[in-house]
Amino acid sequence: MTSVDSFSQKENMAASNTAGCSTPSNDDNDVPTYEYIDINTKPFHFGTFENLWKETLNPKYYSFHDVHQETEDEEFGQEMGIPPETVNELKVICSLDTLRCCPENQPPVTDVVPADPGLMTLRMRKRRQDYKQTLHREFTCRQDLYATELESLGIGKKPLNPEDMLPEGEMTITVNVLFPLIVERFKQVRARQTLQVLMSHKLTQLRDAICCLQDLQVSGEFSNTPDTAPEFISKDLYKSAFFYLEGIFYNDMRYPEASDLSQTIREWAASHNFPTFQTAKMEETTFRDLKIKVGYPYLYCHQGDCEHVVIFTDIRLAHRDDCLDRKLYPLLTYKHRMISRKCAICNLYISRWVTSNDSLAPTDPCLFCEACFRTFHYDPQGNKLGQFLAFPYVDAGAFN
Amino acid sequence: MEYFIEPVKSDCEDLLSRFQRTESVRYEEFAAIWRKMDFPSIFYGKMAANEMRAFSRLVMTTAYPYVLPPYNFQIRVGGLYLLYALYNTQLAVPKEKITIALKDWESIMKFQQDAVNSQHYDVCYIFRKLLSDKAVFFAAMPKPLSFQVKRKPKRHLVCEAFRDRPARVKDLITTETLEEISNVQEHYEKVKATITASSGQSDTAISLINKDLGACLQDTVMTYQNWLDEVTGKRTDSGDAADPGEGTSKQGDSSRRAELLASIKSKSYGQLTEASKSRRHRQVEMDMFASETKHTPGVRVRNRMPSLKARTKKNLLNKGNLREEILQATKQWHLSVAEQDKPAKPRDHKRFKYSHPA
Repeated sequence: MTSVDSFSQKENMAASNTAGCSTPSNDDNDVPTYEYIDINTKPFHFGTFENLWKETLNPKYYSFHDVHQETEDEEFGQEMGIPPETVNELKVICSLDTLRCCPENQPPVTDVVPADPGLMTLRMRKRRQDYKQTLHREFTCRQDLYATELESLGIGKKPLNPEDMLPEGEMTITVNVLFPLIVERFKQVRARQTLQVLMSHKLTQLRDAICCLQDLQVSGEFSNTPDTAPEFISKDLYKSAFFYLEGIFYNDMRYPEASDLSQTIREWAASHNFPTFQTAKMEETTFRDLKIKVGYPYLYCHQGDCEHVVIFTDIRLAHRDDCLDRKLYPLLTYKHRMISRKCAICNLYISRWVTSNDSLAPTDPCLFCEACFRTFHYDPQGNKLGQFLAFPYVDAGAFN
Repeated sequence: MEYFIEPVKSDCEDLLSRFQRTESVRYEEFAAIWRKMDFPSIFYGKMAANEMRAFSRLVMTTAYPYVLPPYNFQIRVGGLYLLYALYNTQLAVPKEKITIALKDWESIMKFQQDAVNSQHYDVCYIFRKLLSDKAVFFAAMPKPLSFQVKRKPKRHLVCEAFRDRPARVKDLITTETLEEISNVQEHYEKVKATITASSGQSDTAISLINKDLGACLQDTVMTYQNWLDEVTGKRTDSGDAADPGEGTSKQGDSSRRAELLASIKSKSYGQLTEASKSRRHRQVEMDMFASETKHTPGVRVRNRMPSLKARTKKNLLNKGNLREEILQATKQWHLSVAEQDKPAKPRDHKRFKYSHPA
């Protein structure tokens, strides 16, 4: 092993090195750097970024297979030019046993903060735990429970069919899609859903994975023909949508009836001396083609005016512990749970109908579940009883 | 979870400063400190569903900056060991990974190369082990970014004690610049020689510059460097002698300064204990400062502004003619139950009071 002298010598060398090297200049290259620290990055090209990582890394460090420890040790010895005995000695010195504080046969109780902790973190945790014990009721946040459950669904999942295996070196992108602010209750909470997409995905695949209530709305009055109602979902009627990323409108033009929603915006911009915006097709763009900022809010707009803020929070090489089934992507990893409104009669099932001007109902408007609505408002032959207007109701908790 | 950033950071810095005092980069030293501080217990305690995972993630992102440049080589080694230890002792399953950003990769590789060059095999081995254990996410940024502009930013403030001494003089005069200078000097001498040869003037009139400028400069720099080393060495020695608990000169200095300040404070406030009656309300404040930990709740007198209602009432009642009107107006908005009829609300649960464990 080396002596202390060589260390201090080394330290001097390191000092002169660190003084000389700074973060590489990044006006034109695609190494992501902060635009505002801890907030968002400068725009960079996703495809180039992917290549940069792959060029610099040894493929075995991002492959999904285990690195064989013995060959690894051997290689290490060869690279360093040290005999196998020294490597073995190193292995003993650096083993995980050196980190254990209590004897091996007595595993510590991990649920209890040790008495009189020396670490600041533990003092803080103890304080919080003591506080919680003084509370009357202890709430377990169900939001958290569901989040854990959803997150753990994907972790380490292997595909049944080996063909669906994620290719090694694929990149996963984490996207936060916020709920639109036009809904009153989202003004207080930043409700969001988090999706993981792959670098090779098209923008349309992300679009299809975003679940929004506005897509399920049914417009119209159906008191006379309640059976036909589910046939007219907004998603099927109005298929246009666009992403607005870094000055470019990506329009979804997969269907012939889809129109360019961004047209009005562009026309308005043109008449007000704004720089002209570009357009592109959503179905022809993969994430690899994008040049955008990570952590910066962008826009997803569908149904004409349902506007979601979209933030790309993270982009990294896929890891062995990620979900490895390609079929499961885009993968939902977080979803805000919403309170669902129950039926006014049974108070058990989630409401499906809302009635108005209803002589039978106690309030106006009044919510009903499917079963109660049918038995209450129609006779066994399906004839309407009394006068009322009935509208299909899509509950906020429909995606829970 | 964000409230844990500060304590975790201070714990890490405590560990690293102890490591710094050993003046070594050996893993055994680190492990000894780690065990002595009982660091694995940082993950202990009852936690809700995904709190453990979030906490592990937070610990990893908090410990990550210590492997990066502004810190000196020894701290970066300590940071690497810290990441290795934290990664392997965390209780979340599967383990939370260390996220490395592409922009930092270059400096990390340089750091690893430095370690190889100076034959710190344990550093290299642990770095390799982390990579081969797949403990690393290769990402764009060290943490997920979600445009939190309104929240007060909690940036990583660089701990000054862990930094290298700035060596500006050494940076300025490197071997290259010295060579350059001597080259220029040579050229200058040649030009001078041609001038004197043509005009026949005496040499001494234009010999304005020292003949061996390069060597001279180097000498000066060397003496300066030696002097600097000597001085700082002395300082460390004296600091160690004064309070062996502290390590580096900077820390020794700061703590001594803090002690001095504290003693001055206590003296100046001590005189105030026998204040006159009229100043007694201030005396309380002084006492509180003098014994910082011993707070006496409820004693503090606060001069609070009267409420808006009270102020309005006062203003209106002073107007004179309005007074009658106001007093006679029906007070329908007042609650129907008189104050004394209300049942006293029982306080059924004890109020939480945190007493410091120490």
